[in-house]
Amino acid sequence: MNTLKMMLALGLLCLSSATVQAVEIRDHHQEVIGKDCKACHDNGIKQFPSDQACQQCHDVDELAETTARSEEDKWQNPHNNLHYGKELPCQECHGEHKAKEPICSDCHTFKYDKHKK
Amino acid sequence: MSNVDLLGRRKFIAGLGAAAGAAMVAPAMAVSEKADGVKWDKEVEIVIIGSGFAGLAAGIEATKLGAKDVHIFEKMSYFGGNSAINGGLFAAPGTPMQSKEGVKDSVDRMVADQMAAGRGIADEALLRHVAEHAMEALQMTFDAGSEYHPYLQQLGGHSVARTYQTTVSCGAGITQPLLHKCRELGVHTHNRSKFEGFLIGDNGEVLGVKMRDNYHFDEDQPGKVINIRAKRGVIMATGGFAQNVNLRMAQDPTLTSEVGCTNAPGATGEGMYEMFRLGAVPVHLAHIQSGPWASPDEGGFGYVSNYSIYNFPHSIAINRLTGKRFMNEIADRKTRADAELACRDEQGNALPPILITSYKDSKKHPNTKKVIKYNVGWKFDSIEELASHFKVPTKALKTQIEEYNQYVKSGEDTQFGKNMTKAKDKYIEAPFTVVRLWPKVHYCQGGVQITTKAEVKDSFTGNPIAGLYAAGEVCGGIHGVSRLGSCSIPECMVMGMTAARSMMKV
Repeated sequence: MNTLKMMLALGLLCLSSATVQAVEIRDHHQEVIGKDCKACHDNGIKQFPSDQACQQCHDVDELAETTARSEEDKWQNPHNNLHYGKELPCQECHGEHKAKEPICSDCHTFKYDKHKK
Repeated sequence: MSNVDLLGRRKFIAGLGAAAGAAMVAPAMAVSEKADGVKWDKEVEIVIIGSGFAGLAAGIEATKLGAKDVHIFEKMSYFGGNSAINGGLFAAPGTPMQSKEGVKDSVDRMVADQMAAGRGIADEALLRHVAEHAMEALQMTFDAGSEYHPYLQQLGGHSVARTYQTTVSCGAGITQPLLHKCRELGVHTHNRSKFEGFLIGDNGEVLGVKMRDNYHFDEDQPGKVINIRAKRGVIMATGGFAQNVNLRMAQDPTLTSEVGCTNAPGATGEGMYEMFRLGAVPVHLAHIQSGPWASPDEGGFGYVSNYSIYNFPHSIAINRLTGKRFMNEIADRKTRADAELACRDEQGNALPPILITSYKDSKKHPNTKKVIKYNVGWKFDSIEELASHFKVPTKALKTQIEEYNQYVKSGEDTQFGKNMTKAKDKYIEAPFTVVRLWPKVHYCQGGVQITTKAEVKDSFTGNPIAGLYAAGEVCGGIHGVSRLGSCSIPECMVMGMTAARSMMKV
C-alpha cells in the first residue's frame, strides 16, 4: 500500500495533492509542516528545497549519533560516511514526494532497515 | 530583461520538453557563446570545474602560490567526484616507504612500465612529467592529513612495489582531507553548480563560464544560469565519461548498459565534449578500460575491488569450466579484463571466474572481513567444498593448485610468467577465501589533448587555447591503450598542481 502511495506521489508531482503525499510519507511532518509548502521549499515552490532546508529542524550531528554503527562498520553511517562525511545532502537519500534508495546501495549491500525513503 | 534571464528561461523551457519526452538521465547540452555584451554576474580569479583529485589539488596549489579568489564548482550535491569512491591507490617512485622496504625504483622505471601498458601510444612526455612530480603530490596529501596503510603494494603491470593506499582503502581518504584543506585555505567550494559552457573572447580565448546554480542531477528543475568571469582562466577537472552509456558506446559498442560501471554517477563527459566543440583535440577516446578486479555480486567499485587488487599477487584466478588458471593474475588491466570476458560456459554465456586466496594471506586486507560479511565473497575449509559450491572440476583444480604451489616454491611461474616476488612463501592452502570476478567499465583513457603545462591544445593551430587548462581523467592520450592501476591519482593531482602553476605564472 505504501508503495502505491509513493507511485501516486510520483505521478502527481505537479498537482496540489503532492502536498498531502509529502507529509504522509513521514507523518511527523504533518504536525510541523501542515499544508505550508514553503516550510521546506525555501527556494520557491518550483525549485527543490535548498540543502539547508531540512536542517531548520534536523541536526546532522544528532542524526549521525542516531545512525552510528559499531567501530568496525563505523563508516557505514549514512549521516557520517566514509566518502562524504556529514556533508551528504538529505535529498540524496530521502524524498518527500518520491521514494529514494540510500546512495550507499549504488555500490554496497549494506542493510538500512529503518531507512524512510 | 537581461541576457541571463533570457538564457535561464530558454533552458527552463528546453528542460521541460526533454523531461516530457525522453529519459531524464541525458545531461543538458552545454553550449559555449561569445562573451560580447554578456553581463558578468560574478568575477573571480580562478574557476575550477570539478572537485575530484585534480580540482582539489589545483585549488590548494593556486592558493599556495598566492591566488586570493579561487572557486571550485561541483555539479553533484556532494564533493569529491569519482575520486571519492575509488580505491585510493597512489603510485610514486622514490617514496619514503620504498627506501624503507629497500625497493629500487626510479622515474624511468615507472615511465617504462606505463609505456608498456600503453602499447606504444602513451604520451611519454606527460608520463615523465607526472612521475617526476608524483612525490610532491603525495607530499600534498601527507600535509593535508591523508593516512596510508603501512605497506607498499605491487599492482598489475608494475615491475616493482610502488603503490601506497589510504588506510580507508578509498580515494575519500585523500579527497576529504584535500577538501578540508581547500576550505581552510579559503578556496570557495560550490556544490550543485553545473557547467553549461564557456564564454569566449574575440580571439577564441576562454574568458569565463556559464554555471547553472541550484542544479539537481537527474532531476528536472530550472535553477539559474550565471555568467562567471575567470580572470586567470578556467581549469577543467571534470573527469571521464564512463557513466554515459551513449558516449561510451559511440566509442566502443560492446560497452552497453549491461556492462557494469565503477564510476560515480556524475562521470558523464559533457565538460570534455564542450572542450571539443571549442576546438580541443580528441585523443584515444575509444580506449575505455574495464577493471578486472570487480565483482558481479555488488554494484560499482564496492568492497571486492580493493580486496582483489590486494590479493591478486598471491592468489590464483580459475576458469570454473576447466578448473585451471587462465591468466597472469598481475598482468595489466586490459590483458586480465579480456581474459575474464573469455570465461564462458559451453553455451557461450558469461561464467564469471573465481579468485582463490589462502585465508591466512587475504585476511591481512581490511576488506576481507567485509567481503565475507556482506555476502560478496565466501570462505571454505576445503578444496572439495569450494569446488562443489562453484561447480568447478575438483580434480583439475587440485592439480592446478599443486602446480601453482611449485611456482611459489621456485619463484618462477612457467604457466603465465607471473612475477612471483609478492607471492613468496604464500602457498595456496585451506582455508580459502573466494570472490567472483567480472570486469566493469572503470576509466576513460581518452579525452582532450594537453601540454605538460596542462594547457588544452587547439586542433587546428596546435597552440594552447588561451585561458583554458585541463587536468585528470578528462585529458586523453597520457596512458595510451591501458592505464596502470594507481597511476591516475598521481596524474590527476600533478596535472591539477601543474595547471595552477601555469596560471599563476601568467
